[in-house]
Amino acid sequence: MKKLYFDVSKCVACRTCEIVCCVGHSLSKDLFKSVREKKLSLPRIEVCIGKDKNFPIACRHCKEPKCVDACIAKALTYDFEKKEVIHDKERCIGCWMCIMVCPYGAIRPDKKAKLPLRCDHCVEIGEPQCAKSCPTKAISYKEEPE
Amino acid sequence: MKNIIIIGNSAAAISAIEAIRSKDSQSKITVICDEEYPAYCRCLISNLVAGDIAENKLYLRPQDFYTQNKIDLLLGKKVIKLDPKKRRVTLEDNEKKDFDVALIATGAKPALPDLKGIRKQGVSGFRTFNDAKEIISLATFAKVVCVLGGGLIGLKAAYGLKKRGLQVKVIVKSKYVLSQVLDDVGAGIVQEHLEKEGIEILTGQEAIELIGNGQVKAVKLDSGKVIEAPIVIVGKGVEPNTELVKETDIKLDFGILTDVHLATNVPGIFAAGDVAQCFDVVRGAHYINALWPNAIEQGRIAGLNMAGVNISYPGSIAMNSVEFFGLAVISIGLKKEDSHCQVLQFLDKKSSVYKKFIIKENRLKGFIGVGKINNSGVFLRLIRENIDISGFKNELLNDSFSYAKVIDLFQPDEIFKI
Repeated sequence: MKKLYFDVSKCVACRTCEIVCCVGHSLSKDLFKSVREKKLSLPRIEVCIGKDKNFPIACRHCKEPKCVDACIAKALTYDFEKKEVIHDKERCIGCWMCIMVCPYGAIRPDKKAKLPLRCDHCVEIGEPQCAKSCPTKAISYKEEPE
Repeated sequence: MKNIIIIGNSAAAISAIEAIRSKDSQSKITVICDEEYPAYCRCLISNLVAGDIAENKLYLRPQDFYTQNKIDLLLGKKVIKLDPKKRRVTLEDNEKKDFDVALIATGAKPALPDLKGIRKQGVSGFRTFNDAKEIISLATFAKVVCVLGGGLIGLKAAYGLKKRGLQVKVIVKSKYVLSQVLDDVGAGIVQEHLEKEGIEILTGQEAIELIGNGQVKAVKLDSGKVIEAPIVIVGKGVEPNTELVKETDIKLDFGILTDVHLATNVPGIFAAGDVAQCFDVVRGAHYINALWPNAIEQGRIAGLNMAGVNISYPGSIAMNSVEFFGLAVISIGLKKEDSHCQVLQFLDKKSSVYKKFIIKENRLKGFIGVGKINNSGVFLRLIRENIDISGFKNELLNDSFSYAKVIDLFQPDEIFKI
């Protein structure tokens, strides 16, 4: 199964990934329309500044996901076929247990929507927009090594 | 092929079933539970009372979970005796079941204070599906509810009933709410927030009597004040359901003492979840951290060991995350410092933001986040892995702190090419 990989030596923290992530998860899927949407689409990836390098941080769909264990509403589940952590918005109550246990700080709260912001590999569009749009090719979406 | 009995049917039990079945499809598994429902999420009953979620969203697993996992499920049946020598349990109806391996996952029950009138009708704990159903039905005819206790259970009950439209009064013995979860500053923000939402909180006061003729009508406080309320919810903490092991050789402290495999001192008998007193990483001693994520992890480790896998439990940590009317609160590890601790704090009262780090000998021991909770899981990891934080201590309070700042302190991370 495919995963997101990050070559941080190439990341210049331009934050294009954050913008295309917002657009990709907006209703209109259009940059200029998306900023006028009632519920502003927020990024599920964030470029975090390290000691001397920049790290785009997003949910990595752990094989033993702590967030799934901690979810009291059974909103987060692990799909063994897709090898992805799936989030069911309808079940989620916004208790932030997932944020409390994510070892990478890769889940952030969307307080208005009361939903966690997590990378879903742009399931609606079919391919992660961050990898597609990264101008320095720091982000790639590729098969996991065996 | 073994004969496995699991007593209990909540987080730890379900997690254990899945772990056992991942390694062993043959053994006979019997699950016995005194509640009459398939496993459900206890923590959600406040959301059920609030009307946030429907009843069917409470269930933890699909309907066919037990048949899929070939479980002999005995619901609404109470185990009254556990005989570790004969390796046998006895049910209330005198039915006997033999086992080779057993898991005690009996959970906990609300601690009922020694209070005059505590057995009156209209007085309820706040833990089970039945508690929630009873409270919902009582709430149809009531206008006021009195909650005894300002801990997580009490405040969650208060939240649920306020959202249901009742007038809620919370009686708190301590000087501030959530005294087991937060410090006074964090608790102050939460209390103010709840009061703004219309919940009345009376701190430093204690109920001394529940008044009424069979049915509770009012609560009398030590201050002399009497609060009329036809519903009283008791949220004064929980105690582990250890009755079964009291007459046995199984070692008991406050809860059932478990080793690194979550086994009790009697071979083949394991304990997990709210009944188990496991090693606490932060305290460095055995302690019950009766919390959902701990129960899930303990159930899994116990289950794997029951299936013959040799796997160790790294230990539990106190951790809580709640959200009350839009205010996020997370607390991990220690919440109050001693004189050997260094404390880093940030407080912005206006925007209800509070962060606190408790550090001892350059190791993070506790974190409180109110209003801002990003990266809590990274802090949990720093605590759990006992990482030397001297190199970046001063950055912990910054909003720009993230996993990127500490990545080289953890195991190599394969998704980043450095």
